Amino acid sequence: MIMNNKSMNSHLLEIRNLGIDFNTDEGLVRAVDGIDLTIRPGEVMGLVGESGSGKSITAKSIMQLLPGNAIIAPQSELRIRHDSQDIDILKLRGRDLRKVRGGLVSMIFQEPMASFAPAIRISDQIVETMQIHLGYSRDKARHVGIELFERVGIVDPARRFDQYVFELSGGMRQRAMIAMALSTKPKLLIADEPTTALDVTIQAQVLDLMRELREEMGMAMLFITHDLGVISKIADNLTVMRQGNIVEAGNADQVLFQPQHHYTQRLLAALPNLNNLPEAPKEKPQPLLSINNLSISYPLGGSSHKQEMFTAVKNISLDLPEGQIIGLVGESGSGKTSLGKALLGAAPISGGSVEYHNTEKKVHFGVNKALKRKRLSKTAQMVFQDPHSSLNPRMTIRDIIAEPLEAMKLTSSREETDRRIIEVAKRCHIEVEHLRRFPHAFSGGQRQRISIARALVCKPKFIVADESVAALDVSIQAEILALLKELRTELGLTILFISHDLSVIANLCDWVCVMKDGSMVEQGTVRQIFLKPEQPYTQTLIASIPLLESPQIQLKPFPEYTAPKVQRQGRSIREDNQKQTIGRKHA
Amino acid sequence: MMRSVLARFGPKVKKSQDESYYTAGQLALIKARFMRKASGVLAGWILASIIMVSFFAPFFSPIDPTIRGANTEYQRGAPQAFYFWDEQGISLRPFTYTYSKDQPKIDFMALAGSGGLAALDALTSSGALSSSAQNKYNIDEQQRRYVQFFVKGWEYSLIDFSIAGLDLDLRWDRHLFGVEQGEIHLMGTDQDGKDVFSRTLHAVWITVSIAVVALIVKLFTSLLVGGISGYFGGRVDAVLMSFTEAVRVIPSIPVYLACAVALSSMDLTAVQRYFAIAVVIGALDFATLGRRLRTHILTERNQDYVLAAQLCGSSSWRIIWRHLIPSFSSYIIVDTLINFPYVILAETSLSFLGLGLTEPVNSLGVLLQKAQDPDIQQNMIWQFFPVLVFVVLIMAFVFVGDALRDAADPHSEKK
Repeated sequence: MIMNNKSMNSHLLEIRNLGIDFNTDEGLVRAVDGIDLTIRPGEVMGLVGESGSGKSITAKSIMQLLPGNAIIAPQSELRIRHDSQDIDILKLRGRDLRKVRGGLVSMIFQEPMASFAPAIRISDQIVETMQIHLGYSRDKARHVGIELFERVGIVDPARRFDQYVFELSGGMRQRAMIAMALSTKPKLLIADEPTTALDVTIQAQVLDLMRELREEMGMAMLFITHDLGVISKIADNLTVMRQGNIVEAGNADQVLFQPQHHYTQRLLAALPNLNNLPEAPKEKPQPLLSINNLSISYPLGGSSHKQEMFTAVKNISLDLPEGQIIGLVGESGSGKTSLGKALLGAAPISGGSVEYHNTEKKVHFGVNKALKRKRLSKTAQMVFQDPHSSLNPRMTIRDIIAEPLEAMKLTSSREETDRRIIEVAKRCHIEVEHLRRFPHAFSGGQRQRISIARALVCKPKFIVADESVAALDVSIQAEILALLKELRTELGLTILFISHDLSVIANLCDWVCVMKDGSMVEQGTVRQIFLKPEQPYTQTLIASIPLLESPQIQLKPFPEYTAPKVQRQGRSIREDNQKQTIGRKHA
Repeated sequence: MMRSVLARFGPKVKKSQDESYYTAGQLALIKARFMRKASGVLAGWILASIIMVSFFAPFFSPIDPTIRGANTEYQRGAPQAFYFWDEQGISLRPFTYTYSKDQPKIDFMALAGSGGLAALDALTSSGALSSSAQNKYNIDEQQRRYVQFFVKGWEYSLIDFSIAGLDLDLRWDRHLFGVEQGEIHLMGTDQDGKDVFSRTLHAVWITVSIAVVALIVKLFTSLLVGGISGYFGGRVDAVLMSFTEAVRVIPSIPVYLACAVALSSMDLTAVQRYFAIAVVIGALDFATLGRRLRTHILTERNQDYVLAAQLCGSSSWRIIWRHLIPSFSSYIIVDTLINFPYVILAETSLSFLGLGLTEPVNSLGVLLQKAQDPDIQQNMIWQFFPVLVFVVLIMAFVFVGDALRDAADPHSEKK
């Protein structure tokens, strides 16, 4: 199993002909279909693909972390070469496997909260790893651990080291996870969507950190993501996967700027392009609804006479122009979802009011102004984030779309209901024959169309789309965004589009509002916000967008890097697309 | 995690890309998954046939199971087997033999002659006076009794119910099988001469129907308490749940005792009284299921589709009944099926305490309690037949419930 073989090439990881099947009720299902992948020492390999492409499965097979029903095809080869050892990973068992897992190869997962044991101090988890793999004494391991915490940029490392995972913020958790993964000095670090769950500014920081660390420690990295913008910041070489196959592989710049395969081209086309921002109308149209000094507070528990409140939104006033798509941007916890729900009467308003103009019957609610649910439901509807939980699995598509009509008794007969449903289904590009089906028959993108159809069936004027494309793959995102634009143009809908993803906002919206900690930071047209942001917070936010670097940047050939300490700056678009070299790879 | 799930199930959908799968509702999907589990399907068939047979028990039983049908000529009689052939040749029509009661041989002369206590002592200790020795039967293998089908016998009501003025009483006197002369006792008789086989068939139906009543009442109260508590949450939840806890701490036996006393003053038959107790049991037993439903609704009501329904203008009742309750209907079905054996066991234990049904009534509890008699265990082992049926019935329920739970398990479906 372990043999000396110096005559082989210098690959650290070599995957040949890897095939993985899953044994399901329906028979064998191929997840990975005979792929080849090699990583040299010190190389950062980006593995890109949409959900179901088999990229995570490939990474898990390296750690032998596949679920029990996975079957690895017999002709597969998976080797790690290190220090003149040639290790056949697929044959490792027990102690030998544990030496590789967490020692030679370590892994960072998407959700740091779920990757740490919640009831054990982070320090104990990291110290244990080092004690097992490196044989350090407890004191030494603690010492090294705190140093690592300092290295990954955690403020007050000695104190943080002994905390529990829930005491850290999201970015801090991912830093701690990185510290733990690095504690055993791995030769290969597998990072499975390490920044996907993070806010965009923190994502930029973590990416910077990982880039620095890999230059400092010279380890190889397998970086898995669905986001081509993120991968362009860090990868030397790129592999694009689709449905278990590799469709394109090669040097990162080559793949990103001269993509050969149409699938890669499609992925790239879905990326934001700040050179091509939509032109907002010269004059701001009449407002459809006015938000007057709106505040939203949630009860935090406590006894009934001493109720503690958490204020999610503080005193916001805003006019939403009719027939426009308004983007609402902010990081998690900024109160953007609360604001969106409040406009639909689904959040506890503690101050101010919301007024819809130009409606059949007056819709005006807020503090001391009772909400008339039926009037509001006819005027404003919502499209949700998660296309799986927002459709009742026990109802057919027809019944789901019919729900507003039936609940509010808007139609007089079943024929009329069916007519309206078919009308709205056609508009949302849902095939009429599919109306009999249940939600489980549809993919995420199709479900989101159904969700939109349900929102539209009672002919509202206003739609709140809360992170409505966040759960979708990029190519499907593009379809849904196109549909929303089409609806805006054809029906004159006003859409409040809530998103943490600035690139989506840039693609879709006419107007943008930026929120932070429950307050409105800045608002303006898309061009104003993205190209000439005024507030410092907006500037940081915009600079953190992982945009694709332009090909003009000078690139040194891989793999020499001479540990340069270049001042890293976020990419600035303020100076109207004046490109700056930021520390992309080898700066 | 999500990705591996998608990788696992993604292509699966494509594979079975036919309209019937797409238009299959939750129950149809559960059924399809259930059908794949052989043990569950087999248990389901067994369960269905036991219940069918017990529903039409009078038709399937050759002898009236009440004291009216007791065979005084054949008390404590052993089971009579079917034969298809014997020394006299093969017969396509199954047959049994004629039997005659063996006259007990007591040596009265010796007793009278000696008149000593020693002789009396010898007589009693010889066992000649015991009831088993008194009921010995000789089989006459020369005289066959052929089995006949669809024979005329005692009259019974095949279907009997009256609802809202509709009084349906379908009376019939045909039975599936019988013999030419005399009676056939497939599983023997008890000390009164009542047919064990017929009694068991009738007992299964009574027991199952009592369990159904108890479970329906239980389900209704659980749904009411759990549904309201879970959906409204907050103060409503706090009040209802403390009430639930209060009911939970009342020990059940005193409640049953109180019920038995209260009901005894009313003019009810034994079965009616027991139905009344079943209703009380069901009504007081909502704590566990109700709490579980509440937890389920508490998580389910935070799903986006509930908010979507609220934004659509649906009323609270509409959301609970149309959106929330169906979301765990499969769970309720499974839970009810798994609870079935426990209700039957409850009936059995109540009968044991003398609170449930007692001797003249046919119920599995009564028959099981009877089987505890050492006399039966030593001399009439055939009276363990109801125990066998009971075990098979409970096992069938458990296997079906188990397979259903697997089939309805939300973790095994694509999410």
